[in-house]
Amino acid sequence: MATLTGVLARPTSHTGVWSWITTVDHKRIGILYGFTSFFMLLVAGAEAGVMRAQLATAESDLVSPYVFNQMFTMHATAMVFNVIMPLSASFFNLIVPLAIGARDVAFPRLNALSYWLFLFGTLLLHAGFLQNQAPDAGWFSYASLTEKPYSANAGMDFWSLGLLVLGTSSVAAALNFVVTIINMRAPGMSLMRMPVFIWMTLITSILLILAFPVITVGLIELTMDRNFGTHFFMPQGGGDPLLWQHLFWVFGHPEVYILILPPMGVVSEILPTFSKKPLFGYPFIIWSGITIGVMSWAVWSHHMFTVGLGPVANSVFTITTMLIAVPTGVKIFNWIGTMWGGAIEFKTPMLFSIGFIALFIIGGLSGISHAVAPADNQQQDTYYIVAHIHYVLFGGSIFGIFAGIYYWGPKFTGRILGEGLGKLHFWLLFIGMNLTFFPMHYVGLNGMPRRTFTYTDESGFQLLNSLSSLGYIVLFIAFVIFIINFLRSSKKEPDAGHDPWDAPGIEWSISSPPPEYNFAEIPQVEGRDHYWIVKEKAREAGQESPAEAHVDIRTIHMPSPSYWPIIIAFGVTWIAGGLLTHYALSFVGGAIAFIGVIGWGNEPATAESEH
Amino acid sequence: MGLNPRGASRRLTANASVDNTEAATPAKSRFTKFLAISAVLLILTAACSQGDQSTWNPAGPVAEKQLLLFNVLLWVMVVVFILVEGALVYAALRYRARPGQPRPAQVHGNLPLEITWTIIPTVLIMALGIWSVVTLWQLEEPPESLGEVLEVTATGHQWWFEFEYADAGGGKTITTANDLRVPVDTSVRVILESDDVIHSLWIPRLAGKVDMIPTHQNHLWFYADSSKIETLPATFLGQCAEFCGLSHALMKFEVTVLEQDDYDAWVEGYGKPPVLSPLAQQGQQVFNANCVSCHTDKGPDAAALVDGRVAGFLAGGKIAPGPNLTDLATRARFAAGILDLNEENLQRWLENPDEIKPGNYMSERASFYQDGVNTLSDDDISAVIQYLISLK
Amino acid sequence: MAHAVEPAHHTEVEHTTTGLNHRKLMMWVFLGSDCMFFGTLIATYMVYRGQSLNGPYPIDIINVPITTISTFVLLCSSFSMVQALAATNANDQRGIRLWLLATAFLGAIFIGFQVVEFNQFKNEGLTLGTNLFGASFFTLTGFHGAHVTLGIIWLLAMYILALKGRVGPSTSLDIELLGLYWHFVDIVWIVIFTLLYLIAGFDAGPSPAGG
Repeated sequence: MATLTGVLARPTSHTGVWSWITTVDHKRIGILYGFTSFFMLLVAGAEAGVMRAQLATAESDLVSPYVFNQMFTMHATAMVFNVIMPLSASFFNLIVPLAIGARDVAFPRLNALSYWLFLFGTLLLHAGFLQNQAPDAGWFSYASLTEKPYSANAGMDFWSLGLLVLGTSSVAAALNFVVTIINMRAPGMSLMRMPVFIWMTLITSILLILAFPVITVGLIELTMDRNFGTHFFMPQGGGDPLLWQHLFWVFGHPEVYILILPPMGVVSEILPTFSKKPLFGYPFIIWSGITIGVMSWAVWSHHMFTVGLGPVANSVFTITTMLIAVPTGVKIFNWIGTMWGGAIEFKTPMLFSIGFIALFIIGGLSGISHAVAPADNQQQDTYYIVAHIHYVLFGGSIFGIFAGIYYWGPKFTGRILGEGLGKLHFWLLFIGMNLTFFPMHYVGLNGMPRRTFTYTDESGFQLLNSLSSLGYIVLFIAFVIFIINFLRSSKKEPDAGHDPWDAPGIEWSISSPPPEYNFAEIPQVEGRDHYWIVKEKAREAGQESPAEAHVDIRTIHMPSPSYWPIIIAFGVTWIAGGLLTHYALSFVGGAIAFIGVIGWGNEPATAESEH
Repeated sequence: MGLNPRGASRRLTANASVDNTEAATPAKSRFTKFLAISAVLLILTAACSQGDQSTWNPAGPVAEKQLLLFNVLLWVMVVVFILVEGALVYAALRYRARPGQPRPAQVHGNLPLEITWTIIPTVLIMALGIWSVVTLWQLEEPPESLGEVLEVTATGHQWWFEFEYADAGGGKTITTANDLRVPVDTSVRVILESDDVIHSLWIPRLAGKVDMIPTHQNHLWFYADSSKIETLPATFLGQCAEFCGLSHALMKFEVTVLEQDDYDAWVEGYGKPPVLSPLAQQGQQVFNANCVSCHTDKGPDAAALVDGRVAGFLAGGKIAPGPNLTDLATRARFAAGILDLNEENLQRWLENPDEIKPGNYMSERASFYQDGVNTLSDDDISAVIQYLISLK
Repeated sequence: MAHAVEPAHHTEVEHTTTGLNHRKLMMWVFLGSDCMFFGTLIATYMVYRGQSLNGPYPIDIINVPITTISTFVLLCSSFSMVQALAATNANDQRGIRLWLLATAFLGAIFIGFQVVEFNQFKNEGLTLGTNLFGASFFTLTGFHGAHVTLGIIWLLAMYILALKGRVGPSTSLDIELLGLYWHFVDIVWIVIFTLLYLIAGFDAGPSPAGG
């Protein structure tokens, strides 16, 4: 075995492209996730642009339904799996170890593996575009449309196999973060002293671990139906298309909480900082998060109110879905309570956080109207639902994520993003978002179904659709502004210092950007908002609170870079890819992954040369 | 602009002390403005809700009850929105940091407040939830008080709706396509099935949708209420509301509500042999030679016949379940509600159906189409069109 | 506040908040995830119980006596796994090798029984595509078999390490983790055996007309 792993010497460099490919440093991995998913945000946004261009006018023939159907499928699939989830993962990577006082995550190489699986899975998911066979059955891909002969080309296989690879990435990352959060907290940081963002990461990770296997089975069964002759969802063989829906939504509903809880955590960190007072009702926010996580398993069939489950099932899910609104409301009230009586500074992170709450209130309220099954019979599958989705995922998750980028960006770049452009970005995004999605509430209830590539002149849908398409242009400009801001701010002199916002989290006690080992000395945590406590004590003692001093890295043993994660990710992706090309390639991929696992097993976490 | 910090702060302090209310007033006036704008916007946009397919324009008790539930919820949402969003905006404006302001009181929470704002929403939500459940059960089946129920079976196909009346009246069986005719003031119970993928039957002005799922039998019901309909006959639009493939957006149908007498007359006249001109007779021969394997033109479709067409389609044969064309000329539209029925449109459709309805199975499977283009002679096509417009 | 910092030592036993080793905690959490995976496959089987449009039906081909033997073999392998861990903790090098190999061997016997069973079913007309019973049965037991096979590979890898003298009390965690995985896979089999063989194994098709 030593000769196998001795073929290529273990990487040691900490600079250059190769160092990024072999990195196991959570901060670098977070940056990799961040850039990749932001790029995917632009891709999925372009797909939305095609749709809005097509729908701007009645009976438009700008794009064919064949293209349009691929657009809405890939827009949603990418936004969920390639944008919001990995942007959250980016934050998990960057922030979790710093916020709990750890030097890295529990399994640094597994962390790197998660990123490479994400990248390759994303490429696999999108590879269909190269053959003009991108998935086109909607992001929840209901059977039996996804079966052959109704989806005869390989699009659905790209979808299933891409998501299977992405699933392994998410589960691996979730396992890592559960162990990290439970097991690597600084001394004195009990569970009820953890920052809210860490709690939300923990709950999200547990949801991921339990929910992904369900859709994994669904995807496997769909792939087997399409390629190995089974009839799990095929009526011709006795299969029930509804089984797919149950499997998908048992995963799918926890999934939407996976999408919203981390941004809620981000906002919970930002509000106290810029209100200059602690989070109001911390235990209640935590318990609300836990309750939402638990209850998310009990509401899935509200996505299926129109499939004929019967009045008993529909009644039960109406009640459970309405009840899950309560903990969400409690969070919102506590956030407002945090601002109440504060001394609010309207820096860009704060604007985005307040925007998050404002828009999420609208999305949450429309959600309550869906919960009511009889009313949902009119709303289901119309643009009213599309409006709800975007208020909670764009107005909610994306705004929360931008808040986090402006807030924590300086910690990793050493530079504060421009305030002027930041505010412009916020207002354009806020206005654009409302302009694009608010009219959709109306056009949906006026009778426009979703996933339709066109509508007639007589329908009367033109005006509201044009407004939405106009809104898209505003959103586009907003994103351009953000990119300009980001590029310009990257070039200026470092100006953030270690604690630009006078914030309570311990991540602000170290330099910006942090050294590779994060903390020279792991803090002894004395309470929630520990760094505020430290600064308060220092103020009372008449001292300043500079950042920690740097120490010689050779005295702290950090895990060493490794090339096994990318090799294994490559192999795993080919196990899936082989099913689309030649089965022999699956075995080759398996062999590569296997060799990778052996190599990894034989490699110590920290290289001999770095001891 | 002065470089005198103490001077500046003195000025600021002076302002602040003179007028706590002055600092509050801009916030308050901004807040009131915000409320006013929201109210106006909400009302304005509500005015946008109109239309033939609108859920805001119910023509029967099912749609009406569903709308009532939604409207009540809407007003609750509006009130909650004003309260909560208002509190948010108020807090943002009122508690803006003023220069030199000391650190605010470090409040950690308030237990009575937490309990209150947990219990009140729970109670409110449970009340709405229970009312919703009651409505749900009420809407499950047509009530006896509304009288006899007309049963129709709707089968979804890619991309058209098949309607079968086992007993339209006097024991007569009727099959139509994309054309649901019902008498006014009569409960209509629609059994929902599908022969291929999941579709959904939606007539917004009459009832919320229910999905049509292969291997399942669902149902919905509606009742066209004469007191809510201005003139008869009235036409309501329906559309497929579950993504079902390439031409999902082009899968529509019409519900025609008739006076009882007109309905009976329609049932009576259904399937009667048409009067044919010589050209139409020639067209009938073209039809018999090329179209009957998929389209029935002489009356209702037997279930076994449709099953056979579906099986043939799945086996890759030159066949597919096609819309029933009996009495086609009595319909206002064809091709699943997307084209007005006239000679010109029929010509366009027959020549190149794929251009109008991408993915349609006629041009894909019928033997007289090559690469989507009709290979019948122009004469034959004209004749068949004459035949089709004679079907009444 | 610069002052000398104690270099952090890279030791075998790292300090953890719960006192539980990282890898052990992760194995437990991973097994929770795997529970959901098998649970969903089992749910598919149970949902489709009695729904097959045609035979063969379970009663026609499920062989409870033979599968009882293979189940017993797998149970024995769990016993030998326990012994392997005990030997590791006692630094009984011979015992370590013996019991690891025994576990792998018994696991392989179990897989052998499965291979024979699958082949027999295929010959009697039950494949993945025959009916819902075939689809859900083979998928569920197939994935279970894949888990067992991965476990056997892992056992053999540990055996090879044991041959090199790299298994002992200081690395007992490695064996413990393998044991957790192996016992989990065994427990899943108990559930599958009970549901698919002892209970649903006697499911017949629809009764013939007039019967």
